[in-house]
Amino acid sequence: MTINASPRELLLHLQSVIGSLSCDYAEARVALNESTGIALSGEEVDSISSGDSCGGSIRIFNRGAWSFASFNDLSEIPSRAGALLRRSAMLAGTAPGIFRSKPVVAHFATRPARACGIVSFDEKFDLMRRYNGILKRPSLVQTTRSMYRDSRTFKLYCNTEGTAVSYERSFCGVSFTAIAKDGSLIQPFSESAAGFGGFELAQGREEMAERAAGMAVDLLHAEPAPGGTYDVVIDPHLAGVFIHEAFGHLSEADFIYENDRMKELMANGRRVGGESLCIIDDGSIEGLTGYIPIDDEGIVPGPAHLVKNGVLSAHLHSRETAYRMDEAPTGNARAISATSQPIVRMTNTYIENGPDSLEAMLDEAQGGLYVADALGGQTNLEMFTFSAGYGREIKNGRPGKLYRDVMLSGNTFQTLADIAMIGNDRAMFGGLGGCGKKGQSPLPVSFGGPHLLVKNVLIGGRNR
Amino acid sequence: MILKPPASLCKKCRWYDVIGTAGRSIPVFFRNNRLYSIAEKETSGVGVRVNVDGKVGFSYTGGDKGLETAMMRAIEIAPFGEYEEYSLPSASDPPAVELDAGRLEETDIAPVLSAAKEMIARILDAFPEAQVDMGISYGSGERRIQNSEGFEGIYRHSSFGAGITATIVAPDGVRLSVSEGVSSCGPVSYDAAVERLLWKLERACDVRRLAGGVLPVICTPKAFASLLGIVASGLSARSVFKGISPFAGKLGQRVFNESFTLMDDPLADGSVYSYPFDDEGVPARTKNIIDRGIVTEWISSLKYAARLGVRPSGNGSRGHSSLPEPSFSNIVVDGGDDDSNSLFATVRSGVLVDQFIGLGQSNTLTGEFKANLDLAYVIENGEITGRVKDCMLSGNLFELLAADSVFSSERIRYGAALAPFVLFPAVHFTS
Repeated sequence: MTINASPRELLLHLQSVIGSLSCDYAEARVALNESTGIALSGEEVDSISSGDSCGGSIRIFNRGAWSFASFNDLSEIPSRAGALLRRSAMLAGTAPGIFRSKPVVAHFATRPARACGIVSFDEKFDLMRRYNGILKRPSLVQTTRSMYRDSRTFKLYCNTEGTAVSYERSFCGVSFTAIAKDGSLIQPFSESAAGFGGFELAQGREEMAERAAGMAVDLLHAEPAPGGTYDVVIDPHLAGVFIHEAFGHLSEADFIYENDRMKELMANGRRVGGESLCIIDDGSIEGLTGYIPIDDEGIVPGPAHLVKNGVLSAHLHSRETAYRMDEAPTGNARAISATSQPIVRMTNTYIENGPDSLEAMLDEAQGGLYVADALGGQTNLEMFTFSAGYGREIKNGRPGKLYRDVMLSGNTFQTLADIAMIGNDRAMFGGLGGCGKKGQSPLPVSFGGPHLLVKNVLIGGRNR
Repeated sequence: MILKPPASLCKKCRWYDVIGTAGRSIPVFFRNNRLYSIAEKETSGVGVRVNVDGKVGFSYTGGDKGLETAMMRAIEIAPFGEYEEYSLPSASDPPAVELDAGRLEETDIAPVLSAAKEMIARILDAFPEAQVDMGISYGSGERRIQNSEGFEGIYRHSSFGAGITATIVAPDGVRLSVSEGVSSCGPVSYDAAVERLLWKLERACDVRRLAGGVLPVICTPKAFASLLGIVASGLSARSVFKGISPFAGKLGQRVFNESFTLMDDPLADGSVYSYPFDDEGVPARTKNIIDRGIVTEWISSLKYAARLGVRPSGNGSRGHSSLPEPSFSNIVVDGGDDDSNSLFATVRSGVLVDQFIGLGQSNTLTGEFKANLDLAYVIENGEITGRVKDCMLSGNLFELLAADSVFSSERIRYGAALAPFVLFPAVHFTS
């Protein structure tokens, strides 16, 4: 079997291979991918590339354990499957079972307004050169990085429950970084946008490029935020990063199901925040970067209400964790590629709107900080740190003096409990980057929320 | 794998090179103290870089469309590429380095599993409430570089790596998680890693408070290895050329304390980060990058060496699907005269750091760092008295390394870095 076979032939072949394996459950995935990348930096073309890849995997559940084999060479599928079955005999069952699902037979496809495959390289390159020109316009901008990426993937999935799915997926996006420099001061600022669709997602991003350049220059001469404990108003972008990093990962059932203490901490019914706090993960929202029509175990996703009115009410599941915790599956088993194993991942994760206005929050947070955008975030499932893109002093109910290097840190549950006000202006964010877990990165996700007022947040730095 | 492109396409190029990679590995996961999954991973691909009329294009393939299609695509997009005037290396005799312990993926898995089970049992013996996760991956592969100037290189490499994490969650939700790892090109023993892990767990059971201020801080080799990433990015010819390295224009100047010497060593036998030639076919060589505080050379690929007008350092690094970028091989930091005990003895009240969270989110181009301490200990009168948490360190790493930092004589390898303990006499600590 080669990639010249038709999708239908390939799917039939995969079905016959997994159907011949004597095991409790088997699934196969194959993906064919074509992608184009452009990276410009300052006056230079950093790299241009265009390439293709092909890969797949078979996973079986047998005697209470998973075995997995991945390959690039599709002609070897039957022999890999046989070796896999033999290896699975070495595993003694530790998993009691997996969630069984009804078969899904479907074809899904992204509907791009302008398919990336038919836009010339010339046009892609010209657009990026224009954006890069905007980025490097301010004289204090030392260098830039403007990246374009599109990828067109044909995915096939089938399992021994009778599910057979194909998905023509098209992903496109841009990211902009401006690095400003003055003497020994160096200040980067980045912006990114991406999603499922065509070339239209890369177009019309001039303002985004202008903002990246402008912010890098403005922040260059801002002071670092003084360290200490503050009441902070968090913007929708950083609220989204917080809820993804600090809370979303805690809700992933593979961190919970075998750990009694985690089970207690994350038990449904436990109050973690005020009445207005609602947190949702939903892979079914088309148009967002974390959209999946079906997960990589053949489960159709839907909204999971992780926190409802301040109370824990759901977890994110794979087939295995749903079975073990006796909860409904959520369609959150995702793999970064057809050659990686599905693990429990987020999709589109957000805090739902609350009752409060931004003005009311700024009034309440007198003497505190307004913190916005995110350079990154990391968590160890108890504590988190995030760096905001920038901060502003809150004075007389308005954001004032600009600060750079704002690093927030805290305990996740304490911080959820310290959310004092929730805004009504939710926005969602996703870009060319993505989420990383167990070496699978960057997985496309989106995150967001409204403005939040959080009490007593630790900001790192030289003490004020 | 065929790396010989058709002559009709070669004729269109001023030069070209082809990289082919292939590998097979067996990843094994133990989750929550038990064997969870065994997998087999196979990867392969080919990348081709072409120079047409001075401009560089690139394409890759992992499927069976093959080299010819990829090369046609690369030639097609080359007019959009950058002018790159350097030439590729010609045929050479690369230095010898031990990288290959055979096809590890074909060896018997039973002893691998039993050694892992033994280690997990040892940890559970000391900490019955711990949950141990362990990832082991072993395998081998092949790397080929071929170019239009007559270079043809191929080498096989093998690797065996293990990461062990023990986690204890206290009834109040306080989470203690300690990770250790070990890797080599042949089968490894976990003994030393597990001993370090137990040492760190034992000392972290009591949580103590420490007031914020400016304190002496000791980094374990593991913590120091993660900080070294910040130094490494400033020593790349790429960031020097882009004008964003604070060391640009300081070649031959003293930038750090005399006690600090940092080497790039691609010829370290047995390391999975070693190679006989880099991913552009440049023969590997061991060299000081910082010699007693003085910056002596940049880490470069052919492109950025040419841009800066320096001798290529042999650090062009890539997979089959990307263009080469300058990257360290093995980072080796010289040890000091005294062992870590004598470093501890000088600290009346301070912090020992082992794991950061959020390092690298700050503006690290300038050496600035701010990070929460995932695993750190209070040092009182030279002794570790407990764990300190919910606190942050901040400072400028370049300033710390330029001041009176002290290095221990013993060193431990973490990933690509062989690093000592380091004592920084004064660092900002927020709690």
